[in-house]
Amino acid sequence: MKKLTLAISAIAAAFGAATAQADVSVSGSGSAAYIAPAGSGDSKLNVGQFVSFGLSTTTASGMTVSGGMGLSNTITTDAGQAVSGGQTLTFATGGATITVGDVTGDDTPGSVGGVVGGQVGDNGGLNSDVATGFVDDDGLGVAFSTAVGASTLNITYVANDDTNTLGAINAAASNAMTAASITVPMGAYTISAGIADSDTGESSSGASVSTAIGGGTLVVGYSQQTLDTSEKSTAASYALSSTDGSNTTYTTTAATNGDLDVDGDSTVMGATYTMSLDADTTIAVGIQNAKDADSDSTSQFDASVSRALGGGASVFLDIRNLSGDATQDGSAVAVGTSVSF
Amino acid sequence: MKILITFLAFILLQSCSSGPLGGDIQKNLAETDKIYGKCNNPNRQFTYITKKICEDQVRAAGPDGVVGDPINLTEIFSGFGGNGKVVYAGSSSNEFLWNGALETLKEFPLKTVDSQGGFISTEWVFKETNPNQRCLIKVNITSRELMSNGVNTKIICQRKESDEWYSSNELFVEEEKNLTLKILEKASQLSSVDSLS
Repeated sequence: MKKLTLAISAIAAAFGAATAQADVSVSGSGSAAYIAPAGSGDSKLNVGQFVSFGLSTTTASGMTVSGGMGLSNTITTDAGQAVSGGQTLTFATGGATITVGDVTGDDTPGSVGGVVGGQVGDNGGLNSDVATGFVDDDGLGVAFSTAVGASTLNITYVANDDTNTLGAINAAASNAMTAASITVPMGAYTISAGIADSDTGESSSGASVSTAIGGGTLVVGYSQQTLDTSEKSTAASYALSSTDGSNTTYTTTAATNGDLDVDGDSTVMGATYTMSLDADTTIAVGIQNAKDADSDSTSQFDASVSRALGGGASVFLDIRNLSGDATQDGSAVAVGTSVSF
Repeated sequence: MKILITFLAFILLQSCSSGPLGGDIQKNLAETDKIYGKCNNPNRQFTYITKKICEDQVRAAGPDGVVGDPINLTEIFSGFGGNGKVVYAGSSSNEFLWNGALETLKEFPLKTVDSQGGFISTEWVFKETNPNQRCLIKVNITSRELMSNGVNTKIICQRKESDEWYSSNELFVEEEKNLTLKILEKASQLSSVDSLS
């Protein structure tokens, strides 16, 4: 990251001795990839770039306050340039971090198994029929993360999932969500467990265990999510298609149940193994089995190899295979480069 | 309301230094980064953009977390069809000062050698006993004549905190002065040898 101190605003504190320092940091990255999607679809080329302006200041008491905004050309949309950010402020001290604004709660605690990047994950064309995760896991709220000795406790409260930076707390028309997790090192193992609960009636719990084995890191996880089919459904919609004299034609989109027809539990079991071949090469594999209340189930296998070339550039090969109940199963492959500016 | 006040009071207390519960949140985050990867650490909050940049940065850095030197195709191919040496021609800098600077910096790997502009920069130099600090040296030959004010030297150092490199904001006035004197001394010796031959 290029740390550009644009404004060392040495503001004398109220009582003289201490000063505050403001920093603006700029970081950016880009990626380009050739993607062979699952199914019979044409191969794709994809390019995306991102710039993030980080704003931070350290108060006289040592608290760091940070925010930021960014520019992006996403990898999921053709020419999808956008400006975003500015939706959170983070207050960090030695003991805790508090983020206020658009925060995300972990609604799938213990869910592991994915190791590929977005070029396959977002553009690979794979589409599972298994419903996982809440319908909405982010919104205006507070995220609190604190150290408890060597353990880390996280509590996220989304007060209004319909807004991001300005909204009513516990508004009747919107939903709130609470998520909590704790990560505890226990000898050779690290255990992470979490729960989440939403006003929608959805809830989840899960845990993962990690340990160093065979020169790499193995993570095994299990997640159970109680989901509500009404939250997955989309209502019928009507859009004006054409007007010919007095005749008006509408295009009708039928209501759907999404990936879930009945309320009930989804379970996700998975594991990942990541290891370094040398100082520049990383390999990772992951498996994940998922099943929902419709008895739809899938098995997913991921493999990823990336190698740093130096100077901020790297090349990668990502593969994902999905089998089972899926609108689109099969294998997707991406070969490309990621560059950190 | 009581619950809210209690919660806020707890947060304020915990936010002071290491808080009543103890521990260092940044240290804990660094430890869990090793397990889940920095970009997938459930204990961190990311925006879409910062997550993508994080993923690209992690891949670019590789497992050791250090963005290494780029592959230099010129160096690779210079070995074919030639003696492998790079010739810098057309310098507008004083040759004795230039060669004196090269001689002085010969112990260090050089990143930039621009004879046209009279500019030399070393790679980041690490000390084995202190891998969390790195320094580089920049030398600029500003004169065609062999003169004492024809050399500018600058030493820049950074320190590593939470896997990020930050300027140490240190001044190395004495070290830069000694380096300049060393280059002038070498240049003077080279000039003397040249005048005798």
